[in-house]
Amino acid sequence: MTGRRIGVVVCQCGGNISDYVDTERVRAAVAKEGDVVAAHVEMFACSDAAQQNAIQEIREKKLDGIVVCSCSPKLHTATFRAMAERAGLNPYEYTQVNIREQDSWAHTHDREGATRKAIQLARSGVAKTALSEPLTPTRVETTPQAVVVGAGIAGLRAALSLSDLGISVHLVEKAEAPGGQVVRWGRIFPNDKVGRTLVDGLVAEVRRRENIQLYTSTELVEKKGRLGAFEVTLKTAAGATIPLKVGAIVVATGFEPYTPAPGEFGYGLEGVLTLPEFKELVAAHPGPLVYHGREVRTVAYIYCVGSRDASSGSPRTYCSRYCCSATSHIATVVQGLDPSVHQFHLFRDIRTYGRYEALYDRALRGGSVFLRYSEEAPPTVRAENGSLVLNVRDQLLAGEDVELRPDLVVLVTGMVPRSNEGLVKALKLPLGQDGFFHEVHVKLRPVETVVDGVFIVGTAQGPKNVAESVASALAGVSKAGALLLKGYVDLDPLVARVDPALCVYCDECTKACPYGAIDRVQYGDREVAEVNGVLCKGEGACVPACPKEAVSLRGYSNEQITSMIDALVKEVA
Amino acid sequence: MKVDPQFLTSLHLGGEFDAQRCMNCGTCTALCPLGVEILPRKLFHYAMLGNREAVLGQEEAIFSCLLCKLCESNCPGGVHIAENVRSLRTYLNREVHGLAEA
Repeated sequence: MTGRRIGVVVCQCGGNISDYVDTERVRAAVAKEGDVVAAHVEMFACSDAAQQNAIQEIREKKLDGIVVCSCSPKLHTATFRAMAERAGLNPYEYTQVNIREQDSWAHTHDREGATRKAIQLARSGVAKTALSEPLTPTRVETTPQAVVVGAGIAGLRAALSLSDLGISVHLVEKAEAPGGQVVRWGRIFPNDKVGRTLVDGLVAEVRRRENIQLYTSTELVEKKGRLGAFEVTLKTAAGATIPLKVGAIVVATGFEPYTPAPGEFGYGLEGVLTLPEFKELVAAHPGPLVYHGREVRTVAYIYCVGSRDASSGSPRTYCSRYCCSATSHIATVVQGLDPSVHQFHLFRDIRTYGRYEALYDRALRGGSVFLRYSEEAPPTVRAENGSLVLNVRDQLLAGEDVELRPDLVVLVTGMVPRSNEGLVKALKLPLGQDGFFHEVHVKLRPVETVVDGVFIVGTAQGPKNVAESVASALAGVSKAGALLLKGYVDLDPLVARVDPALCVYCDECTKACPYGAIDRVQYGDREVAEVNGVLCKGEGACVPACPKEAVSLRGYSNEQITSMIDALVKEVA
Repeated sequence: MKVDPQFLTSLHLGGEFDAQRCMNCGTCTALCPLGVEILPRKLFHYAMLGNREAVLGQEEAIFSCLLCKLCESNCPGGVHIAENVRSLRTYLNREVHGLAEA
């Protein structure tokens, strides 16, 4: 017993828990724990009425800690922390115990076992709370300025939308002119707009805005500081450096079209083009297709070149998403220029998802013929007497060999990450296995990175079509806006700390830390490690690395973890 | 098998050949009351690939079709299967048997 006054709420989750766990038995068992002075069961602990009950109990019984046994902390930690705060408790005196995802849902066949496990989990939550301490978030100020790296369609859109929010933007482009890949492509799906026109409109608007500064032939070479107050350095092609103070960094560096190896599907032979090259060719001629002075009568497209490569060690196992739709679209454009052109599509799977299926349908109705090849038997392309010969085993004809003699072979190439070594180093951003910038969570936090205040948008994060790139840019803008417009940000206080009395500065924690959050400071007459609470994410890599047990995590101290384990292994009557 | 785009062009000229919309589901094959030896989808795929020889080799099947449209009225792709068979018949009559169109 520690003399604490802890309250426990056991949630039934409307049957999600109580159908498989005897919640009353859990309540009774945990009420006998030494520090527990109040325990009750709720149908829905997260409901307004139940929160009100808990708040009243905290006040009346003068509780100094509260435990809610309910669902995953991912769901309701913030809910109950706010509840604790409303009751006048420090929000970090609250502990959530997961008896749903990790208990009732996992053991629907075993009510007795699930109930015993719930009791053990509840006890360990109580043990942790008994040793909890009040914590205060660190408040840091934010600068209402952002830097957007890359002025392609995603970067331009991000810059304009940040500017709409009243945030000053520094838009940095490595190339001599803004616009990125889209300007080369002519008409693009789904709306048949010309890429150059789209970009010109955005660039003109960017130039009109007083709070957007566009830097061309310029790169971001250095980043220091922290979320809300980064110090970045730009470097122009002429070698001049420009220091900036920004609150957030939006990375919109885009992709590189895949370049086939010489000889890959005949690449290098006359008449074998990649999809971007073909789109440029189509865009350059208003009339019927002409290649090297010859009229084009037959076009063959080979899909999935450079994408979905399952061979061992390949980084390009992914689908590039835009190519099926883009090829279906360009086929309808070609069809529109000259309806007598024959177009053959050699595909593996058609992924014209969502409404882009209409493009595929238009291509079909326009006379395009689709042949399916398998990954094991890819098509071959060779030149014979100055013309191209393409052989493919058509799966729709049970693998029969089909020979085509097209005037043009278009390799439908996907997206690969840009080589951005300098930027990767400057921003300390992790890359995924595919080489694109890596998000925190592909669905839940798709534009955030492990570096707070640095966002990845557009195809820098992974293959996307134009609409998806722009949507991702706007997601990045909302995240950056939410961060900067408030003027400050409260940082989670659950970070590591070093006990300087025990520390001998062996450097092990520094090596373990992925965020560079450990400083070397003077302590009396010797040097010790110190945690920078702004950079620390509290993920705890440094804790087991310390040979002196001098490092611990706030909210998860070694004593707390030990007492939780003791509570977990205690017998259930 | 060699693709002959000219053959495909002549089919287009012959009528409303629309087998491109076929998604290879096989409904037509399952429903055919005659159990015609070659599947419509395969026959049409040969035609679309401009394989004249393969189409000519299936004359028996092309003329044994009843044009009952059981396949056509159930085709999820909305392919005019019976019309397409008639297009192929027209082609054979004109180009192979030398019969002029009425």
